[in-house]
Amino acid sequence: MSPRVTAILVVHHGGERLTRALDAIRAQSRRPERLIVALVQADAETRNAAAEAAPDGIIQIEERIAFGEAVRRAEQTLPPPQDDEDAVWLLSEDTEAEPRALAALETTLETARSVAIAGPKLLDAESPDRIASLGRSMTRLGAAVPLVTAELDQGQHDGLSDVLGVDPGGLLVRRSVWRALEGFDPALPVVDDGLDLAVRARLAGHRVAVVPTAHVRFAAGGLIGPAAGHRAGAVRRRAAATRRAALHRRMSYAPAAATPLHWLSLLPLALLRSIVLLVTKAPGRIVGEFGAALRTMFSFGAVARSRRVLRGARSVGWSAIAPLRIQPDEMRRRRRLEAEERRARARGRVDGVDFLATGGGWVLLVAVVVAIAVLFPLLGAAGVSGPGLLPLSPAVDELWRNASYGWRDVGTGFVGAADPFQAVLAVLGSLAFWAPSWAIVALWLLAIPVSALGAWFAAARLTDRGALRALAAVLWMLSPPLLSSLADGRPGAVLAHVLLAWLLYAALGSATSWATAATASLLFTAVVASAPSLAPALIVAWIVGTVVSGRGAARLALLPIPAVVLAAPVIWAQFAAGNPLALLADPGAPVPAAVPGSGVLALGFTDPSLGGWQQVLASLPASIDPRWVVAALLLPLALSALAAFAVGRLRAATFALAGAALGFATAVAAAQLSLAIVGSTAVPVASAPGQSMMWLGLVLAAVIALDGLRRASAWLAALLTVATAAAVLPLAVSIATGRAEVAAAGSRSLPAFVTAEAENNPRVTTLRLVPESDGGLRATLEHGAGATLDEQSTIAQTRVSMDAGELALAEIAGNLASRGGFDADRAIEEFGISYVLLGQVDEDAPRAAALTADRSRAALDANAALVPVGETDFGTLWRFADAAPDAPAAQIPAQAGAPLTGWIATVQLIVFGAVLLLSIPAGVGREEPGRRPKRSRPARVRRRDRTPPEAETAAAAAATGDPEADSSEGAAADADARSANDTDVPGAADAADGEEPDAASDAALDPPPVTAADHTNPDEREGASDGR
Amino acid sequence: MADSRKLLRAGGRGVAVLTAAALTVVAFGAAAVVPWPEHRAEPVARSIEPAESRTLRVCPGPMLELGADAESVSALGSAGLTIATQPEDAGAERVPLAPPRGTEEDVAVALVTQPGSVGAGMLAGAQSQQLTTETAAGFLAASCAEPVAEAWLAGGSTELGRSTLLLLANPGEVTATVDVRVHSETGAVDAPAGLGLVVQPGAQRVVSIAGLAPGAASPVVHVTSTGGTVAATLEQTAIDVLTPTGADLIGTTAPPAKRQTITGVVVPQSGGIAVDEDHAEGDAHPSLRLLAPGDDPVEAAVSVVPESGGEGAVFDVVLQPGQVSDIPLGELAAGEYTVRLDADGEFVAAARTATVKSGEELPSDFAWFPASLPLLAETLISVPRGPGAKLHFANLGDADVEATVTTDGGEQLVSVPAGGAASVPMTGNGGRAFVTADAGLFASVSFAGDRQLAGFAVQPPGPLDSPIVVYPR
Repeated sequence: MSPRVTAILVVHHGGERLTRALDAIRAQSRRPERLIVALVQADAETRNAAAEAAPDGIIQIEERIAFGEAVRRAEQTLPPPQDDEDAVWLLSEDTEAEPRALAALETTLETARSVAIAGPKLLDAESPDRIASLGRSMTRLGAAVPLVTAELDQGQHDGLSDVLGVDPGGLLVRRSVWRALEGFDPALPVVDDGLDLAVRARLAGHRVAVVPTAHVRFAAGGLIGPAAGHRAGAVRRRAAATRRAALHRRMSYAPAAATPLHWLSLLPLALLRSIVLLVTKAPGRIVGEFGAALRTMFSFGAVARSRRVLRGARSVGWSAIAPLRIQPDEMRRRRRLEAEERRARARGRVDGVDFLATGGGWVLLVAVVVAIAVLFPLLGAAGVSGPGLLPLSPAVDELWRNASYGWRDVGTGFVGAADPFQAVLAVLGSLAFWAPSWAIVALWLLAIPVSALGAWFAAARLTDRGALRALAAVLWMLSPPLLSSLADGRPGAVLAHVLLAWLLYAALGSATSWATAATASLLFTAVVASAPSLAPALIVAWIVGTVVSGRGAARLALLPIPAVVLAAPVIWAQFAAGNPLALLADPGAPVPAAVPGSGVLALGFTDPSLGGWQQVLASLPASIDPRWVVAALLLPLALSALAAFAVGRLRAATFALAGAALGFATAVAAAQLSLAIVGSTAVPVASAPGQSMMWLGLVLAAVIALDGLRRASAWLAALLTVATAAAVLPLAVSIATGRAEVAAAGSRSLPAFVTAEAENNPRVTTLRLVPESDGGLRATLEHGAGATLDEQSTIAQTRVSMDAGELALAEIAGNLASRGGFDADRAIEEFGISYVLLGQVDEDAPRAAALTADRSRAALDANAALVPVGETDFGTLWRFADAAPDAPAAQIPAQAGAPLTGWIATVQLIVFGAVLLLSIPAGVGREEPGRRPKRSRPARVRRRDRTPPEAETAAAAAATGDPEADSSEGAAADADARSANDTDVPGAADAADGEEPDAASDAALDPPPVTAADHTNPDEREGASDGR
Repeated sequence: MADSRKLLRAGGRGVAVLTAAALTVVAFGAAAVVPWPEHRAEPVARSIEPAESRTLRVCPGPMLELGADAESVSALGSAGLTIATQPEDAGAERVPLAPPRGTEEDVAVALVTQPGSVGAGMLAGAQSQQLTTETAAGFLAASCAEPVAEAWLAGGSTELGRSTLLLLANPGEVTATVDVRVHSETGAVDAPAGLGLVVQPGAQRVVSIAGLAPGAASPVVHVTSTGGTVAATLEQTAIDVLTPTGADLIGTTAPPAKRQTITGVVVPQSGGIAVDEDHAEGDAHPSLRLLAPGDDPVEAAVSVVPESGGEGAVFDVVLQPGQVSDIPLGELAAGEYTVRLDADGEFVAAARTATVKSGEELPSDFAWFPASLPLLAETLISVPRGPGAKLHFANLGDADVEATVTTDGGEQLVSVPAGGAASVPMTGNGGRAFVTADAGLFASVSFAGDRQLAGFAVQPPGPLDSPIVVYPR
């Protein structure tokens, strides 16, 4: 007796698909006895359409429920099954059964009594020659795996019969079994519902079979299974649902004893998998990962229900289904195939840089030679000394402590936020962990070559011509702001210059790659940390870039996040102190300097002598204003930069010159600000970083201009190089001959007497008194072997009023420098001071300073509490007679900053850990095998009328060479392109935007359309591949 | 068609370049011309008023006489001490210092007040003594001085019949290591014996200048001290064959500066030697002692202004670096004078006069008048017992200064004219004078009587007690 089949059709959208589904049922060679339509939130039209089909029953459901739930409700309207022959056929508007489908399924149930569930071969509705699904299985660890995915149906799987599970679409299941198993698990609404039902059927002693002869066309419309689609949101939702289903099944299937362990492992696993997701550049799925873990953790009821149902129906052990699981070697084979596919796809991709082929190696060599020549005095030095330079703490852990919120060991010390720059220093110092101070020497020596490389790569985004890339590198490494910063000893400005070109290079690529975006955000952090005065200009550039970048905006939006997280404590502190302007203060040791005039700023220099030109010209008989000479030498660069507008790349030229203007504005604004206070002077903000940005814009504009010239560009490049080199020659010579402020130095800043004691007593405290030119006295405290660069704090430098510690220090210092009834031992009690160092006064110092020095010396000499130690290189030294080693007041308070230190460090570590993982270039990454090539944007297509013929053929060749060019989507893209531009050559439309040099370089300065089709869009990789 | 499009494009590019160039010029111009708002942080500073301390003055004590060896001395009589404090009842303690070698008597006395009982400079002491021994005679007066780290003393002589001792008193708690350097008319004297002299805390030490610079007609002594501070005083006696021709205590003079002022120079009898006289020998005539301690010659303009008013003599001198010059003050009428010196370099100065009993050939007493520093707004002066005591004021400013002088006899108003001087007679029994005036007056005290002549400058308190601006960052 043939089974009585009831078809249950779940309908949501209706429309043409419903008609086709109904027609398909009607067209069955063996029509089901009954048809029940379950309308899920269907509109009136759909209802009518369903009613026209004259089903045996219509149930209407007014809430949005899953397919499984709708089927359950529909099935409940049926009378109880009379015997095993009763079966239900599960259909939806997304399934269109071919005429012989039901007959084939029914035959299976009929011939094999043990088969309880029979599933059809699901074919892709849009391309029916591809298999959408044919059975499912699990790995030994329980991960769901499709047996067949997106293969061309050539009958190669038609021998398949017994499987572990099937997908729910077109499923024929015996009603007795359905009822015994209580239908689909409500906790698996979207994914794995069919697999779970089949597994439970198997455990209940039944068999599950696929019937390859039963063809059902399946459109993943979202009613059965997750909705298809390549939009980022759909991919994320699909991944989250898959993960949730996997976790739920794990909790349901696990032995009771193991469930607590599984429960405990949920969050740690989510964390681990998040790290993997970051490395594989799918950060969007992390939220879903944790959502799945948390929901599973707190869905005790659903898990309990699933376990109860499973236990109730189970009649055989798990070992019974073991042979049906995918075997490990099969999994390995699959992974290998996937990797091979990815490699095959990646083969055609090039980064368009060709470092060695276009002379990058020679540029590097020249840069190294220039660096050695200019910084000759620093070769072999253990440290660098200069106005803005101090040694770094000798211990790496101290570097990192100084980079985190907590005790700021500068002056009298306080608990507060670290400057972001300290984190940069900590990284640098950790790289030279054996002698952190040497990291500064390395920075100085590498500044020129690394700058040159950065500019070379940034220029590579603009031009293919090696000569012009080399021009950019040379102009950037010889720029006056870099050499001025090197000469003046300003580590922040040097770092900002070195990293600025790299930041540009990374930012231009960040619209298309997560790894590049993360790298750009780290570079952004380092630049802003080193030169906070650049932050406004960079943020303006970022906003403009994000606005015009279209689809890449999500990745560009990441750019400032790490910087904000790192700087958040300082931002909070300065806003709370009502001094937000102080956020722009230069970190590190403040460099008192004259405020440069705007003429000097425009020429790229920071000092009125224009890097030594004044002295050079002063030695000549005629009196010439050095500004005119330098202006004349820099004129070719300025004119070339302006000429960028003449070569037709308006957008790139605007971008470059607007950047230059922003940089100049930054430099001028910086000169208007004096924020940090050193003794009796307020220190102006360094203008060099702004000038670096200006210079970068000019260099890139010049490259754009020369790139547009067909002839004579090499000569012009040579002229620019020679003129610029001449402009900075006096400055370079002054560094090379050791006449600049910066010099090789030992890493000592206090007398040897003190540093010797500091070796045993690292907190030995020295009160340093320096007579100021106005007759005042500067008093600072230094601990151990002296102040270090990583201890400095802009919060302390820019505070507008004295704090209690500074008041007490002023009182002690003022009294020690005076005769009086002051109890000098208060210096020991309050600050643990052991030594007093009175700085030397130069011969040509103002008389007031000399008088203050005399007065202080006399008072200190006459103080019975002080024992004179003697004259040292750093001044006159006294020791407190009662100085105690390890004075309690000199110690860093225990638990300073706790517990905030821990919280802030944790948040910062998580964010930076995530960004770092994201920035690891993980090869080509994981991606969905069947990704679609992106459609060419009509706007880009229209530009092709300028494409030279050879480029077109190359593009066409590339298109046909694309392994996916034969896919229907590719054809669709072709069609789109053609409709957008009738005159276009077919095939060229499919060419990647980046194939054409001019278009690519144009696009480079403008993140959105950048070489997009050339790169993989990681969001498009579907999450089916399981991390385990 | 294509041509016109090309033309249009070229034109558009030209416009773009010109626009960019114009914007560049505008940007640079705006940066240069527009006075953009500035933000300059104010340095954080605090003026620290030193904690109140014991105020300390050291009185050099009676005239000493060199004993058998150069290091041992004996006191000649005793000095009368006058002490003043403001407020008057603050009470000053006399702490005798350990005497120099060779004598058991208390010689120098430190005056000490309790911390906070008086303000800076509100403790004053002065001493006077009439010497009438066979070897030394004359009237000497000195103010009790503040210990300092550096002192210049202009005066004395180690020629035949002249004896000059340097008294170093260390009233503090720290050993003072003192370097004594002597300049004479021949230049700096090389005397290693004067370096590294240790003065124990709470003790006085005597150094014979003759031991360092024998035969120097015009020494200038420069005392520097490391460790503790010292009060330095010179004392000079003169004898002509067997007739004592005077004695004096010489206090510190103002440190090297381009401008020096000597107030209240008493010329008891008219006379003197012309400025350009080459053979100005002896010490009976009014003269100046000048030293430019720097490395370059210094040209100084000297004006000797009578206190009673009038123009006075003006002359120029050239000082060779390192060499002490004794310059006659010219022929002067009897009276009191203010000597003002302006130079193009730094120098130290002091003046000397002598009194000659009419009918006698030899002077019977002489006195040194050191240069002084301008006073603060409030000054307390102690005037010891002595004949013809007078308080002199000089005003170098451009405006008249009204000074209120409060003595035991009551309050009186003294008007010191701009660029002029004024004097107030004091009782001969000693006393105090509390002077309130706009800062900048110079003051001194003089004594003149029969065979008696003495004077000392009133110096403001040293800077060690004054507030200091501290930048704790």
